Amino acid sequence: MPVQNEIAAPAGYGIGNAICAVCQESFGVDERMVNSNGQILHERCFVCVQCFQPFPDGLFYEYDERRYCEEDFQTLFAPCCKQCGKFVIGRVIKAMQANWHPDCFRCEICNDGLADSGFVKNAGRALCKKCNADEKTKKTGRYVCRKCHTYIPEGEHLMYMGEPVHPWHYNCFSCNKELDHLCRKRDTELYCLRCHDKMGTPICGACRRPVEDRVVHALGKAWHVEHFVCAKCEKPFYGHRYYERKGLAYCETHYNELFGDICFECNKAIVGDVVNALHKCWCVQHFTCVGCNVSLNLRSKFHEFDMQPLCKKCYEKMPLELKKRLKKAEQTAGSRK
Amino acid sequence: MSKSVKKLVEETKDQGYTELDLCDKSLNTIADIPGLTQLRHLVRLTLSHNRITSLPESIGALENLEFLNVFNNHIEELPMSLGSLKKLRHFNAAVNRLSSLPRGLGTASGLEILDLTYNNLNDKSLPGNFSVMKQLRALYLGDNDFETLPSEIGELRNLQVLVLRDNDLIELPKALGNLSRLKELHLQNNRLTALPPELGKFKHHSCADSQNYMTQDGLCSG
Ligand SMILES: [Zn+2]
Ligand SMILES: [Zn+2]
Ligand SMILES: [Zn+2]
Ligand SMILES: [Zn+2]
Ligand SMILES: [Zn+2]
Ligand SMILES: [Zn+2]
Ligand SMILES: [Zn+2]
Ligand SMILES: [Zn+2]
Repeated sequence: MPVQNEIAAPAGYGIGNAICAVCQESFGVDERMVNSNGQILHERCFVCVQCFQPFPDGLFYEYDERRYCEEDFQTLFAPCCKQCGKFVIGRVIKAMQANWHPDCFRCEICNDGLADSGFVKNAGRALCKKCNADEKTKKTGRYVCRKCHTYIPEGEHLMYMGEPVHPWHYNCFSCNKELDHLCRKRDTELYCLRCHDKMGTPICGACRRPVEDRVVHALGKAWHVEHFVCAKCEKPFYGHRYYERKGLAYCETHYNELFGDICFECNKAIVGDVVNALHKCWCVQHFTCVGCNVSLNLRSKFHEFDMQPLCKKCYEKMPLELKKRLKKAEQTAGSRK
Repeated sequence: MSKSVKKLVEETKDQGYTELDLCDKSLNTIADIPGLTQLRHLVRLTLSHNRITSLPESIGALENLEFLNVFNNHIEELPMSLGSLKKLRHFNAAVNRLSSLPRGLGTASGLEILDLTYNNLNDKSLPGNFSVMKQLRALYLGDNDFETLPSEIGELRNLQVLVLRDNDLIELPKALGNLSRLKELHLQNNRLTALPPELGKFKHHSCADSQNYMTQDGLCSG
């Protein structure tokens, strides 16, 4: 393995019987010597064995006990990165019958680094495991398990966290048995079919299939969130308020449109009992005296004031002239009935 | 002001009640009730059957007010700040002494029921911007002094109830025919000699619905 070295420092001055490791000759008295990794050299011999020049910046490469300048060493020995074409000094990735800088070895589809995560050869390309699985699924229509990266027999894959896997990589949350493709998801946990059945999966009131994710309980039934819809417009309520009538659920708009019981005071569809009076409808709690807001019911004695209810107390406090007219109007209306 | 009023206001504040009923408390004004306009959470304020002559501008601070009832008082003028009560839905100022309405009223654009029965309002009383109240479902103007109505009234498209009885109306604007949701129209005791034909269309259309109601007993014969 070639070694990159720092410059060797002068080791001292000539000693009688030392000989240069390069030229095998002895040193003159007071001649400077160079010590390079334990070898004693003439200063003139401490040069690149290829170009015989001193090392620029003192940087040299040693191979087979011979010293090279950077340029010659790369030309003679260093591998070239297939991606960027430059020499690879340091860690070399040898893959796909070529050399790569670790940072240059990337998935050909998603460009994720492959140096540390491993790669798969796919039709002459280096791919990450995920892209390879996708490619395989694209080509064959079969799922590749994201856990072990092998094919999953048709119809036996489990979609978990959005990715296809062999069910047997997981265990039942309840009994810990290894799962097969009949396993079920409930919230975020996986269960074997037996344990799941024991928990009683609710059946959707619309499609009659089990509700495995979010369940809506309404009208005495369970529903898939997206199957609990307005009986008129068939739009899902998605948690919005709905109005029940004869076992069917309606959105506010269509409940109002179809059944028309809108409270004159709050202008909302009336839920529960309806007070029907004076050609209008009211929520029970909104049928109040127009003068003092006191609660009224159909048995309370009230006067009609422009088709609004006015309690007896309020009526008594009205200007005399108005009282008379109200009374007269009531008598006329009474006689018409 | 009686001690009980002060106590009621304090209690409302301390308990965070959203309704305050000061009905029949012999009040001449509410401007001197300490802390009343600081009840920011108040949703309903009932001041019926008092002798209040005006409402203070500071009532505009009751920003959560949805129901304001000043039925049967002596109010002659309403404050501009009424228009800043953006949540106000039901305002009852019937049986008062109003001869004008503040410009600000139109900007209380959330109003659904506006009761101005039995006041001294006339053609000049309606603020120019009253047709901005697009949410208005019921408008009570009975027992006033209107001789005509502006045609902008036809822009209140949500109007279901319009009471105009006991005024001095000579004619009605054609635009009334635009009020396609109208179910109740009270016209008795005016000086009307004819209804605009546009209204006849409405009448015909709406009579198909048994809920609709139209009184025209007071129509003069000629
Ligand atoms: Zn050299
Ligand atoms: Zn490279
Ligand atoms: Zn990839
Ligand atoms: Zn199990
Ligand atoms: Zn379903
Ligand atoms: Zn609907
Ligand atoms: Zn209601
Ligand atoms: Zn009352």
